[in-house]
Amino acid sequence: MGSVIDLQTRQKPEKKINETTDLALNVRTSSEDMTGWDRSKIVDALMRETGLDLQTAEEISLDVEAVIKKADIKCITAPLIREIVDSKLIERGLEDARKKHTRLGVPIYDVDQLILHPNKENANVPHGPEATNLTLAEGIKKEYALLRVFSPEIGDAHMRGDIHLHDLGFIDRPYCSGQSLEYIKKFGLSLPNSLSIAKPAKQPEVLLAHMVKFAAALQSHFAGAIGWDAVNLFFAPYLEGRSDREVRQLAQMMIYEFSQQAVARGGQAIFTDINLYWEVPKHFENVPAIGPGGTFTGRTYGDYEKEAQRFVWFLFDVYREGDGTGRPFFFPKPLVHITEKFFRTEGHQEFLEHICDVASEKGATYFVFDRGDTAKISECCRLSFKLNDDDLNDAKEPWKMRFCALQNVTVNLPRIAYKNMGSEEGLFGSLSAMIALAVKAHLEKKRFIENLLDLGETGPLALLTMKTDGQPYIRMHRASYLIGMVGLNEMVKAFTGEELNESKRALKFGLKVISHMNLECQRLSEQHGMHFVLEQTPAESTSYRFARLDLRDYGEIARQYIRGTLDNGETYYTNSTCLPVSSRENPIERVQSEGLFHPIIEAGSITHIWLGESKPSKQSLANFVVKVFRESLNDQIAFSPEFTNCLQCGRTVRGMLDACPYCGSKEIDGITRMTGDLTKISSWNKGKIEELKKRNNNQGFFARTQTGSA
Amino acid sequence: MPTIKIFTKKQCPRCPQAKQLGCELAQGGYSVVSYDVETADGLAEATFFSVQATPTIIVEDADENTLAEFRGQVPSRDEMVKIIGAN
Repeated sequence: MGSVIDLQTRQKPEKKINETTDLALNVRTSSEDMTGWDRSKIVDALMRETGLDLQTAEEISLDVEAVIKKADIKCITAPLIREIVDSKLIERGLEDARKKHTRLGVPIYDVDQLILHPNKENANVPHGPEATNLTLAEGIKKEYALLRVFSPEIGDAHMRGDIHLHDLGFIDRPYCSGQSLEYIKKFGLSLPNSLSIAKPAKQPEVLLAHMVKFAAALQSHFAGAIGWDAVNLFFAPYLEGRSDREVRQLAQMMIYEFSQQAVARGGQAIFTDINLYWEVPKHFENVPAIGPGGTFTGRTYGDYEKEAQRFVWFLFDVYREGDGTGRPFFFPKPLVHITEKFFRTEGHQEFLEHICDVASEKGATYFVFDRGDTAKISECCRLSFKLNDDDLNDAKEPWKMRFCALQNVTVNLPRIAYKNMGSEEGLFGSLSAMIALAVKAHLEKKRFIENLLDLGETGPLALLTMKTDGQPYIRMHRASYLIGMVGLNEMVKAFTGEELNESKRALKFGLKVISHMNLECQRLSEQHGMHFVLEQTPAESTSYRFARLDLRDYGEIARQYIRGTLDNGETYYTNSTCLPVSSRENPIERVQSEGLFHPIIEAGSITHIWLGESKPSKQSLANFVVKVFRESLNDQIAFSPEFTNCLQCGRTVRGMLDACPYCGSKEIDGITRMTGDLTKISSWNKGKIEELKKRNNNQGFFARTQTGSA
Repeated sequence: MPTIKIFTKKQCPRCPQAKQLGCELAQGGYSVVSYDVETADGLAEATFFSVQATPTIIVEDADENTLAEFRGQVPSRDEMVKIIGAN
């Protein structure tokens, strides 16, 4: 039913059931046409949508008709008719029917606000018509998810802020994915619903085009990041015979193609991660290489080390330059794997200094540490898929290497402490209960996604069901189900009286909490035959949301531990298992302390080293990276400088300034890393802006070359 | 007195040997703490000491300074006594 009804009553003196009152109504329906008043439509809708019997539906429709007549109004919207029907269902105690009859929609005031003001839940979403579409669709899909996909127990836990179900607005998509270029190198680009099919690329530029288009297609099927494994290595067979100039041009194209295409999910860039290696990873050394035209070259990837190195070097040349105005590239995020073999590979020191130079200048580089025999694909803000024996077997045919995490559910740790002050048994019992809830949420989302996948090539996830290599693109049996955490530091402080960095006792208690979560994940994985695994929650908006809800519901106790400026709502919890952003440890101490947690957070962790306006020398950062690899178990680090971008003259300078030093304009925006990627600060929520003010920028720790200009 | 921390788990070929050493040292009056890394307490302690293989044996002095560590291996009783001193 949909919309406006001009209401003039010409009621018949008597009416029988199954008759509709002859109202002179023009009903503007949601199908954009006009119809007259027809009470039977209420009856039909009630029977069709809620399963009510005819008698009850008739009675309700008559009640509704009476209300409308009595109101003596000139026009009425169909959504309002539905609301009146719902109120009658409530009066009759028909709550189940009311839920089924619910209309999902948005108040006009909210639409006004959305169209006029940017959404700050995701800093990567620009403000524009596509973003508005995204926000409106997300709003409805969130409601749908909470009403239809998840049970009331899970929906209520989310609404209360006990847990956070990430990306509810993308309920009909898995969370994120990691894949191999080999898939499109071998099979070309043949996508369901595509108007044309491309054979395997013969030129590197075409391969890049295929990669970008496939990434865009994948982005429209995943809520989060699209990661690519060993990109420089898999491009290498296409680069032989190409001049340095051509390869550098290709590197530039790759970075611009991924950073400028503001097309995905509300006008965002595709959230792309590219995994890069200086050495040829051990598990690809003897793998037959695929070259132009999708044919095997007759050599193995071990033979392409030099070409792979040439390409990755040029990629970082481009990252160092930044964009046309010198700004850092936000995407694609370059994740360089540091392995034992890295240090045995010729030229590694020069390359390490090269990428450290980029880290210092632009903050772009992510250093991913694969110690011992560990191998992984990294993506998103810190997610990584560690390769097990089956995966390493798949590596012999790398196009099979496709990974996904189906969903991310985060546990509000401080709240568990507030509810169990003084009772360790109670605290760990509550923690287990929250993990059980998270697992239940995963089971419900899995069931929903499987139903969509079962629709096959006519369903909404047709792309993920295509069987180009004999098995569906999405390999559900290998999916991970992420369980995250926010505010370990505040939980520990509430329970022990000390922050994580204040005593060994507090740190060990924090480790016990995460150990318990890890073991519960293992136990429940075995029980359900699924892979539940911990990940540090990026918490772009979750730490703010949890803090806000706890301040509301646990104010008396929570205000002692919530960070930020409580009176004006600029509140937050410390992210995941991190030490407080303001703590004064030097960076190596922070990397080591935070790194203690990383081995038991198997799906990914990161330590951020805030640089502020300082610009350390590349040698200083390189020494630091080696020390982190050798003397900690830290999974991943990134150095985060700060920049000011002038919106008037377009220049970008180092540090957070109040005005542009070139043109004096105060129309400026800051740029730095929020939780996982570099973003504009104007798009941050209040909690994260408050956190930024408190960050320890490690001034004076690293040997500097210069400060001030970019 | 030094404390001997022994980290073990169920499915681990050398762990029985480490446990046996722990029993002998405890019977000899030494301070021995055993950790099962498949419990939260055990895994937390193991994580704190960056234990990545079982069995692992770590010896600490009274100020919790590490005197010796054996990762993935089990020393003889005599070796241990040499480190911690005769009781």
